[in-house]
Amino acid sequence: MVFWAAIALALAPQGAFAQDAAEAPVAEAAPAEAAAAPAGDAAPAAGGYEPLGPEWIKGQPTAGGWDVQDQFSPIGDTASGLHVGLMWVMGLICIFVLALLVWVIVRYRRGANPTPSKTTHNTFIEVVWTLVPVLILVGIAVPSISLLSDQYESPPEDAVTIKVTGYQWYWGYGYPDNGGFEVISNMMPEDEAKAKGLPALLEVDNRMVVPVDTPLRIQTTAADVIHSFAVPSLWFKIDAVPGRLNERLLTIDEPGIYYGQCSELCGARHGYMPIAVEALPRDQWEAWVRSQPGGSVGDEAEAAPAAPAAAPAAEGGEAAPENADGAEAAAATN
Amino acid sequence: MATTAEGFQAHTEDEHHDADHKPGFFARWFMSTNHKDIGTLYLIFAICAGIIGGAISGIMRAELAEPGIQILTQAWPLGASEEGFDAALHHWNVLVTAHGLIMVFFMVMPAMIGGFGNWFVPLMIGAPDMAFPRMNNISFWLTAAGFVSLMISTVVPGAAAGSGAGTGWTVYAPLATYGHDGPAVDFVIFSLHLAGAGSILGATNFITTIFNMRAPGMTLHKMPLFVWSVLITAFLLLLALPVLAAAITMLLTDRNFGTTFFDPAGGGDPVLYQHLFWFFGHPEVYIMILPGFGMVSQIVATFSRKPVFGYLGMAYAMVAIGVVGFVVWAHHMYTVGLDVNTKMYFTAATMVIAVPTGVKIFSWIATMWGGSLEFKSPMVWALGFIFLFTVGGVTGVYLANGGVDDVVHDTYFVVAHFHYVLSMGAVFSLFAGFYYWFPKMSGRMHSELLAHIHFWGFFIGVNVIFFPQHFLGWQGMPRRYPDYAEGYAYWNEISSVGYTIMAVSMLVFFVNLAYAFIAGKRAAPNYWGEGATTLEWTLSSPPPYHQFETLPVIEESQGYHDHRPAAATPATS
Amino acid sequence: MSTAALERKNLRVGLLGFFGAAAMLGLGYAAVPLYQLFCQVTGFAGTTQRATETDAAVAARIAQSTGASTISIRFDASTSHGMPWTFAPEQVTETVQVGEREMAFFVARNDSAEPITGTATFNVEPEQTGKYFNKIQCFCFTEQTLQPGQEVRMPVLFYIDPAIRDDPNAQGVEQITLSYTFHRKPEPAS
Repeated sequence: MVFWAAIALALAPQGAFAQDAAEAPVAEAAPAEAAAAPAGDAAPAAGGYEPLGPEWIKGQPTAGGWDVQDQFSPIGDTASGLHVGLMWVMGLICIFVLALLVWVIVRYRRGANPTPSKTTHNTFIEVVWTLVPVLILVGIAVPSISLLSDQYESPPEDAVTIKVTGYQWYWGYGYPDNGGFEVISNMMPEDEAKAKGLPALLEVDNRMVVPVDTPLRIQTTAADVIHSFAVPSLWFKIDAVPGRLNERLLTIDEPGIYYGQCSELCGARHGYMPIAVEALPRDQWEAWVRSQPGGSVGDEAEAAPAAPAAAPAAEGGEAAPENADGAEAAAATN
Repeated sequence: MATTAEGFQAHTEDEHHDADHKPGFFARWFMSTNHKDIGTLYLIFAICAGIIGGAISGIMRAELAEPGIQILTQAWPLGASEEGFDAALHHWNVLVTAHGLIMVFFMVMPAMIGGFGNWFVPLMIGAPDMAFPRMNNISFWLTAAGFVSLMISTVVPGAAAGSGAGTGWTVYAPLATYGHDGPAVDFVIFSLHLAGAGSILGATNFITTIFNMRAPGMTLHKMPLFVWSVLITAFLLLLALPVLAAAITMLLTDRNFGTTFFDPAGGGDPVLYQHLFWFFGHPEVYIMILPGFGMVSQIVATFSRKPVFGYLGMAYAMVAIGVVGFVVWAHHMYTVGLDVNTKMYFTAATMVIAVPTGVKIFSWIATMWGGSLEFKSPMVWALGFIFLFTVGGVTGVYLANGGVDDVVHDTYFVVAHFHYVLSMGAVFSLFAGFYYWFPKMSGRMHSELLAHIHFWGFFIGVNVIFFPQHFLGWQGMPRRYPDYAEGYAYWNEISSVGYTIMAVSMLVFFVNLAYAFIAGKRAAPNYWGEGATTLEWTLSSPPPYHQFETLPVIEESQGYHDHRPAAATPATS
Repeated sequence: MSTAALERKNLRVGLLGFFGAAAMLGLGYAAVPLYQLFCQVTGFAGTTQRATETDAAVAARIAQSTGASTISIRFDASTSHGMPWTFAPEQVTETVQVGEREMAFFVARNDSAEPITGTATFNVEPEQTGKYFNKIQCFCFTEQTLQPGQEVRMPVLFYIDPAIRDDPNAQGVEQITLSYTFHRKPEPAS
């Protein structure tokens, strides 16, 4: 068992390298495919959008998979490099400790060494086993800190903004730069997903559609309790906390579908509010935006008045005339 | 050896009161002031809680054996309605919550600190009893009452979907304040208050005992490492638990009295609750493992017939772990929206802990190096501990990296990590300590054969359960999910098979217990022989009801290793 | 040592232990105001600063002397559960002069049939800009009550501290998001 565990750890990094190597040509081929496949009927007219089919699924768990999912974001590429390095460090340390244990077990068993030594100190070796781990940790810390600073790069001004709101138990994806519409995303019923060849429990009725190769400003908040917006194949996870907004930069390298799941316990249906990100080439994404109620792209969005973010249900109570008297109705002065 | 044993026991015949005179059953077990009896109570309590907590994990592994919801809907046959389904899912969260709280507060902590701490700290330092024997009793019954409160919480109304608190052991706001209208969460909070109060009293008791009641000549730097570990643990308890108490009290008033400490609607901040919880929660994980470190140190030295290597380094490594443990809490909150500098700091600080931990691992190996190793049951558990804790330790270094953590935060990788350090680290050290001291406590020898079978079954079982969970986490499976996508089915099934192996090995453990009490040989005072050199081995097995009426004296010439009276000590030391 | 002496000594250490625990308990409660203060002072967790007109005038002079630069501001509005208000910024983004006072408006409308009092929580992203985001006036400083159907424009008067340009942590920041969430004020406990 011990050996099995150690061997698995030791083999892990090699597997990761193999995957990296295999992935490269696929990545290059993808844009061409992307242009071809969904483009068939992708006229920019409203309603021309068709959700990508199962052949576009890129980020999902695989049965028996024992490494991180293949990565499709620049951060994912950097981070999975560090991940591979860490697997080597972990594996080697475990093997080293195991080897030492096996050695003392064999060499210093009572049968082999009936008279114990009385050694209780050796300053040199104690300094070594303090300093060597320190050096290893410094070696880990340098790329780790640099990864953090990459992750916290601020999104550029023209990044596409998506406001992710966690609800019990579904997600809302708002597009404030594109007319302010909000897409409500519920888990697709299991039977329906299976019938369409899509992964049950991961597929949703309305995906979060985003442009590929474009910086995305992902902002998260929640309406009730804390949720967490997570997509493993994009190396992305940020909590959605009620009463505050979090923001991270995300760029997706390839068109495709990337699945994730809520990653902070949020009540009964915590396991049933998946995330599906659909990355499309820019023009197809724009077509999708125009197909949404009030959706607009570019300057048209700037000109459009701020769309009210109210729930449709609230409109019934809207009897009284508007009172937008322009007065600074409620400003408190400091 | 037998003469020494009698030397430290009160002279039964001559003394005017009988050292072995025990009170009646009720007075002895319900109003106990004897540290050994209270230790026994704690151990029995921990075993009972462990059975319940372990059974809950059995339900969970059965549910997770394949995709879909099977067991939960059978256990709560509420029909195929939406409400019935929600109730099943809510009960899953209740199980997750109960498993975590039981194992942390009512299994590991009572067993390590209450059980072995109570039993062996006074024996090892040569004290007649704890400093505050009656408070000791209060500590135990507070803990027991806390457990009752936790059990009650599972059956009283919780959320709209059903009874019990489905908040996770962290009881995060606002999940604990919004949508959990029933009193279940209040009972959980009350349970933590009681257990926490019990632990704080216990911690004070240990600190006082260790500072004031050591036998003449036993300086701090001559104390056995197990006593050191309990002392440091007691300080961690004393400093960390009150912060939890404050946090959950504020949660309680938020829930019931309209305060808004953690409610943004009134200007509160749910993230602050997480800061407070983990300010307690991180030291808590060291509270659960440090006494294990201590026990493993004793055991490794005993069965290597060699003093612990680098004694002072070992002691101060634990101090360092305890101190640094207070300044790393936010690594549990990497995804909550911390700014970059905060995350960098917590990444660096967390990795620092690997250094003293490494010192301990290597010192244990160096203790065995050149020794004369005997693979009795406590030793094989201790060896298992050293390796598995190393595995849990390196995945901890992996998780310490804030940027890498993003992909595995709140996934099964984290579950695998903390079960390697707790379910294998802490629990292996508990079993090591149990087999080490069980004959001392009961006066009966257990079966070495059964103990070894238990070890191998448990070792294989837990590795099959938890090693594949690393893969599940890397593949992205989130924690606290009763159901999962097809892609996660493969490793989950293997993991559930591992549970069965582990469960069977636990049957062997209970058979062994029964064997020992029915047919076990009487234990000699020092049944482990020459390597066992601390003061508990100078007493009979079980020790007399009142020990050390004449305090043992540690001579100048005696070091940290051998505390047996000079006459009985071979000239070598 | 006599038993009495030992008991006294034990009592002393035991009491010290309790005081230690009590102090940590106090610290747990003190964490609430201390954390708030810490955030307000350091801008931790994207907490904005409060400033006076005088501060603003000083900032404007500094900005003029160091040369003008601009930064984009995004306005974000949310409502939490049980809050039947429509709440949105008048403008989603706006480019402002660093150091200049700017006024932005949010529009809130009570869609329910009863008067509702709300309070707003807020933060900015990226978080390291919190200590440079100064509010002179804000609707979030006090509670707001809206009658059924009432709609109001709510102003926030702010400026960006020119010191943001000297902070290496904020170098790459092109856009700051100012986010508000309106919560329904909890009913007083009965």
